[in-house]
Amino acid sequence: MECAFDAQNLISISLRKIQSSRTQRGGIKLHKNLLVTYVLRNARQCYMSKNALQTQRTPPYEDAATVRGRQEYLELTGSFTEFADDFDCNFAGVQSDTWHCGAHQSMAQHMELGHQDASACAMVSPSDSDLMVSEACWSCADKSSWELPISNTQANQKTVLDLDTHVVTTVTNGYFHSDCCAQPKQPQAAAPCYTRKRKMDTSYYIVDPEFYLPDFVPLSCKRMRSEDDDDDDLESDSEQLDSANISNLISVLGSGGLSEFVSWQQMDLEQIFGSQTICSKHTLLAGSGWTRAIEAF
Amino acid sequence: MQQKLLNEAMAGVAGGNDFQWCFSQVKGAIDEDVAEADIISTVEFNYSGDLLATGDKGGRVVIFQHEQESKNRPHLRGEYNVYSTFQSHEPEFDYLKSLEIEEKINKIRWLPQQNAAHFLLSTNDKTIKLWKISERDKRADGYNLKDEDGRLRDPFRITSLRVPVLMPMDLMVEASPRRIFANAHTYHINSISVNSDHETYLSADDLRINLWHLEITDRSFNIVDIKPANMEELTEVITAAECHPHQCNVFVYSSSKGTIRLCDMRAAALCDRHSKFFEEPEDPSSRSFFSEIISSISDVKFSHSGRYMMTRDYLSVKVWDLNMENRPVETYQVHEYLRSKLCSLYENDCIFDKFECCWNGSDSAIMTGSYNNFFRMFDRNTRRDITLEASRESSKPRATLKPRKVSTGGKRKKDEISVDSLDFNKKILHTAWHPKDNVIAVAATNNLYIFQDKIN
Repeated sequence: MECAFDAQNLISISLRKIQSSRTQRGGIKLHKNLLVTYVLRNARQCYMSKNALQTQRTPPYEDAATVRGRQEYLELTGSFTEFADDFDCNFAGVQSDTWHCGAHQSMAQHMELGHQDASACAMVSPSDSDLMVSEACWSCADKSSWELPISNTQANQKTVLDLDTHVVTTVTNGYFHSDCCAQPKQPQAAAPCYTRKRKMDTSYYIVDPEFYLPDFVPLSCKRMRSEDDDDDDLESDSEQLDSANISNLISVLGSGGLSEFVSWQQMDLEQIFGSQTICSKHTLLAGSGWTRAIEAF
Repeated sequence: MQQKLLNEAMAGVAGGNDFQWCFSQVKGAIDEDVAEADIISTVEFNYSGDLLATGDKGGRVVIFQHEQESKNRPHLRGEYNVYSTFQSHEPEFDYLKSLEIEEKINKIRWLPQQNAAHFLLSTNDKTIKLWKISERDKRADGYNLKDEDGRLRDPFRITSLRVPVLMPMDLMVEASPRRIFANAHTYHINSISVNSDHETYLSADDLRINLWHLEITDRSFNIVDIKPANMEELTEVITAAECHPHQCNVFVYSSSKGTIRLCDMRAAALCDRHSKFFEEPEDPSSRSFFSEIISSISDVKFSHSGRYMMTRDYLSVKVWDLNMENRPVETYQVHEYLRSKLCSLYENDCIFDKFECCWNGSDSAIMTGSYNNFFRMFDRNTRRDITLEASRESSKPRATLKPRKVSTGGKRKKDEISVDSLDFNKKILHTAWHPKDNVIAVAATNNLYIFQDKIN
């Protein structure tokens, strides 16, 4: 348990570092943040190994009242899960060679939604298509969210997080409906609002420094880079977004949201990590941290 | 008695027996409140050792020049006095990406001197500049077309002609930017290195290395690119790069994974595939949360001979033989006592400090910095090491530096300092060794200490 507590402490510290790096002078330091994510991964692995037994003992389903009563904990649990998985998937190294995050996306969609892979569990995609997150992260099912299926098959269900209303809803075959115990929503009503807000979110992202200079294909010959490259690339590739990069990862951990993560240090760890299921409509981060971040831009 | 024994044991590092370091000079303000702009971020001797350049976080470059030895005190080497000061880089704002570009000077590298002027390269996170530092000690006097104030004279009032005469004037050192190499790095530049051909140099950022020609600013060749097609596959970044001192086709770059790659530019236009790969297998028993951080290499330096290279990671310095890739030939522990403190050092960000290292002129000794204003020297021949401190308290002229020791056990001896008493805000990240003599420059926050050997 000591290892678990140290790991939890490290995770909290690491998330705080990533958050503060966004406001540091000189921009995000790629090297430092890469190292921090390694610590996050290591801490998470340690914690997972220590809590494997506990996760098996958690009840598969909790009624709405119980869940609402522990809503605050659950929100953070879910968020922590997805973020930790994000980092784990992103810099798995030993665990996995490629980025998956359990996001059920086809390879065809990969590039389009690629921008959100790194933050798939929490951020709204700037693309017009549905945006997503692995249902496993927010699933009502009894399977542990630690065990994310790594699959490229497109699922019928996708969970959507609206950053503005902070409402988590599940999309099934294009129809929005809230997670269990909540009222279903009509897609027509939700979509326009969603699209409009997504535009705001786009500006909120800290994109890869090379957002305006996409360089996805490595060249096999000596490359001459002139001072005109910036302008040309911006005009031709402004629609392309680099997928799942550290900057986006960092953007997941918005300026306001991380304060919540820090606060759960004081909470009962057993409670937080014991519950792996989220079965009701819940409001993530009731504070205006996310909103503040968006307003800043 | 114990101190005397300690002194005798420690003496002899870097230069043979009866060798001791003594204080020479200290530059910088004495104020307790240190302005961040004054923090020294790089130190570099030129090829002859006559000039010593420092860069700071405020984007300024200060060059010190070695004065000739005094006839009155021939046993002392001359002092370094300010030669030139100029603002190299200014803070900039990238409006496109909404990013501020720091003016901090990351590296200074001198060019070999080819005429009366001196040239150096200085870089911040994004832009490299070539500066010409030249002296002017004469001025022309007696122009026909303009008077002494510089105003043009009425040509119709000129009744006679005279030849302008060069008159001596007070020495003026001018620094002018001759080339600006910009817009070639998306990520933060961490290294620049002048090639042995004296025509090209390389610059490295987190993911790419570019090769420049000193005369051409509007283009550079990208010779290393480790950016993956999908950034989610990123697992390491470039942390340092250097050209081989003699072979203009060879360079090395280190990574955050603790590996070093040697590349030959003759092999391919794009040197993504290395010629040699240096890596020491990790000891599984020492695995911790911070294994990746402490194995990240912060500096790599070729020896003057070109046969060896040295790397610095968080806790140690390693010397590699270029002919042996599977392990270093020498490993020196800088501050192993910090291994049990990594969690605290992670919390206060000290674990991310990037220490540099340097060789002495004969490659017989190496030096690197530590915390509490300590710096360490290792004699490669005798395998002796010494810990010295750069402090104002021991800054009396010609005062011999007393070796310091950090106590790791429970019982602290006299004159030892315990690990918990170390001041982690006082860190020596940048050091430089004179290319020929036993003179060292040590940057301690905003102060530059110069020490020299005391020849007995």
